[in-house]
Amino acid sequence: MGIMTEAVVRTELERSADKDRPQPMIEARGLHKQFKTPVVKEGSFAGIRTLFTREYRVKEAVKDISFTINQGDFIGYIGPNGAGKSTTIKMLTGILHPSSGEVRIAGVDPHRHRRRVVSRLGVVFGQRSQLWWDLPVKDSYEILAHMYKVGDKERDLRLGQLSELLGLGEFWTTPVRKLSLGQRMRADIAASMLHDPDVLFMDEPTIGLDVTAKRSIRDFLKTLNTEFGKTILLTTHDMDDIEQLCERVMVINHGQLSYDGTIDELREKIGLPTTIRVTFAGAWSIPLPPGEILRLPLEVRLPTGEAFRVVETGPDYVRVEANRQQIRAVDILREMSAWGEAADIHTEEPAFEDVIHKVY
Amino acid sequence: MNIRYWLHLYFVLIRSSIRSGMQYKMNFLLGMLLAAGIQIAEFLMIAIVLNKFGAVKGWSLYEVGYLFAVMTLSKALYRSFANDVHHLENYLTSGDLDQLLTRPVPVLLALMSQNFRMMPGELLQGGFILTWALHGMMQAGQITWIAVPFTFLVIFTGAVILFAIGLTTATAGFWLTRINELQTLTEDASQTAVRYPLVLYPVWLRSILLVVIPVGFVNYVPSLFILRGELGAWVLLGIVLVAAVCLFASMKLWTFGMSRYQSTGS
Amino acid sequence: MLYFSLASKAYARNLQYRGAHMLHNVASALFGYLYACIWIGIGQDRPLGEYGVHGMIGYIAFTQASLWISGFTTNGLGIPQSVRTGQISLDLMRPVHLFVHLMCREWGQIAYQFVYKSVPIYLLYVLVFSLSLPQQVTTLLLALAGLAAAAYLSICMNYIIGATALWTTESSWLYWMNHALINLLAGFFIPVEWLPRWLQTVSWLSPYPYLLYVPTRIYLGFEDASRLLGSLVWCVLMTLACLGVTAVVRRKVEVQGG
Repeated sequence: MGIMTEAVVRTELERSADKDRPQPMIEARGLHKQFKTPVVKEGSFAGIRTLFTREYRVKEAVKDISFTINQGDFIGYIGPNGAGKSTTIKMLTGILHPSSGEVRIAGVDPHRHRRRVVSRLGVVFGQRSQLWWDLPVKDSYEILAHMYKVGDKERDLRLGQLSELLGLGEFWTTPVRKLSLGQRMRADIAASMLHDPDVLFMDEPTIGLDVTAKRSIRDFLKTLNTEFGKTILLTTHDMDDIEQLCERVMVINHGQLSYDGTIDELREKIGLPTTIRVTFAGAWSIPLPPGEILRLPLEVRLPTGEAFRVVETGPDYVRVEANRQQIRAVDILREMSAWGEAADIHTEEPAFEDVIHKVY
Repeated sequence: MNIRYWLHLYFVLIRSSIRSGMQYKMNFLLGMLLAAGIQIAEFLMIAIVLNKFGAVKGWSLYEVGYLFAVMTLSKALYRSFANDVHHLENYLTSGDLDQLLTRPVPVLLALMSQNFRMMPGELLQGGFILTWALHGMMQAGQITWIAVPFTFLVIFTGAVILFAIGLTTATAGFWLTRINELQTLTEDASQTAVRYPLVLYPVWLRSILLVVIPVGFVNYVPSLFILRGELGAWVLLGIVLVAAVCLFASMKLWTFGMSRYQSTGS
Repeated sequence: MLYFSLASKAYARNLQYRGAHMLHNVASALFGYLYACIWIGIGQDRPLGEYGVHGMIGYIAFTQASLWISGFTTNGLGIPQSVRTGQISLDLMRPVHLFVHLMCREWGQIAYQFVYKSVPIYLLYVLVFSLSLPQQVTTLLLALAGLAAAAYLSICMNYIIGATALWTTESSWLYWMNHALINLLAGFFIPVEWLPRWLQTVSWLSPYPYLLYVPTRIYLGFEDASRLLGSLVWCVLMTLACLGVTAVVRRKVEVQGG
């Protein structure tokens, strides 16, 4: 890349910084990706014949995806396997070229200026390490610092900070192949932060970790976002990660974006019922029309027309389900208090996992 | 990206590799000696034969030893720096190549900096046979001291040529994915072939080893001038040119292969 | 029946790769071609003992093809790998003797390699060099017996090499050293009788000549069945060694847990 192109890119960035509206950090516009896979031949010499075949099957992995992510956002990007998640991420990072559509990271196209874009990105692939397998952890940092043109002083300062936050000291000189999964993950996350990128792509950063390790990674990512203002795109199958860290979530399915909004809006939209469990002190009974026996699930309709469902009864409790969008909890409880003396009330929101399951 | 940047990067990488390799000194030393010994066995095979029968098609044992040593040293140089290029198949099947694309450096250089492989056994064996051969020929008055710097040049250009061949074979991996078999042909077989003087082979094989897979320019062609005074000094310039052309062509092919990889994703 | 099934499974496992292997055969045959060219060059103006140029080419062709029977046995019969994964303790617990178990597996592998590598490669040489096949069936049968013994000896050697993996992580070195010794002492490129005197003595004190040299000589008609006696003796000796090694291995695993 010549000096001219660099100058053009730089003025482009400066110009956009002058605008009143802050430039989005990550922008995807009409992304499409098609894969042509050769039709696999059967029979003798299948291997050779497949190599020379002209028959192709076209698979649309990503269909017309557009979204905007602003600086300081913490976005969850989820979808079932094969939905096109990793394909999208690869297009955002410049690994894969889109069939059509555009990507801009801080205003720069990663396909035309891969190295420039990537020098401001931090990427963590949870399933594999980017560190040098046989070398001590500190050597990997030394090599990476050099690759990303991070000066010695800056590197040491940052590693000091990261070491405190992530507890790197305990395996500083250990070869990467001897680290436990939790340690390796921390080392990898530190590596991704070495050059102080503005944007982080985290792919399954908590996979396979125990509860304590997960919590410390989550805390660290939260800190990065809230205290250091990093923009983070998190891809994961762990719904707890999403719930605890992200305000906004994008759901991809069959190559298309089926939802892009906040978690609360998603819950509302899906409308899974809330469960309320009331424990009664003493005797209780549900009023029924004369001659009818209790059959579950039983729909209880209020005079106002709103309804909730009784799904389970026990010796001293009743469990009901209702859509909080349609009926207020306070109205449900008022109705139930007529059934007996309530001793204890327990409310459960639908599990986020179940919500997501419905979206998929 | 300037030279100083890369030199420094490699320096850090090499130093780390050596440090971690040297951790178990006994193991390292033993490994080195065993590797050298095992490699020398291959040369001993031909040495025993030539010792019994004299020269082969006009090539003495010293000359054959020279061919052997130059090839070993060129190969060691190439594989030390570009070992993971040779093992590109692993990167393609595991998807690890994507990771390298997230680094702010050209993919090829990222690939090469993944691993610096120390090959002390090969260096020891090659160095030993080379010294022995050069010494023997100098004693017999066949060559003078000038052959030594010429040889170093040739080892370097040889490494470049082997690198170009290896890179081209690896590039085929973008289409074929599995390139182990191909590598056996373009690298193992051809490198073994030119350890012996090309005059032994029929013309068709000689042509392949010069034009199609230019390994002949790694050791044979230069030795015609350096050891036997044939052809003339321009040969050395020619070798440098051949190396440059091969390098250029292979890198262009690599770029083409990479862009295909980034479009098709596999 | 169990033994046969162990062997046939190993055989069948390889079948899916036979396309790739056939391609690889061309590359393998190329190596032999190179060596043949060298001998042709050497034999240009000197007599090559009782072989002559044509005989030497035949020698190279047969030894190259035989490599797939006695030269390329699985490293340590897979023991180093199974030590690394811990599988070895499971294997030792089985009702089958470890040596027999691994040997049967390897026989299946060798059988496959014979059919899909040795034979095609040899036929390729016959074609390219217009080699003549042995006149009598007995020669062929004796040669095959020699090859069978060679395969068995190679299995035993690799068993012992593999067993060392329980004491050191560097058993690969032994495998490569074994390979180097095969190159030098088994008549791989040089018939044993042309080795320097002292090296010949060393060679005949070891089982190496029986891996390649003896079967080849029988095939080419230079030796008769009496040579196979030596093969037999070594087979017995190596078997005893392997049984002894197994006992030591078993004791180590029982005491140290592998």
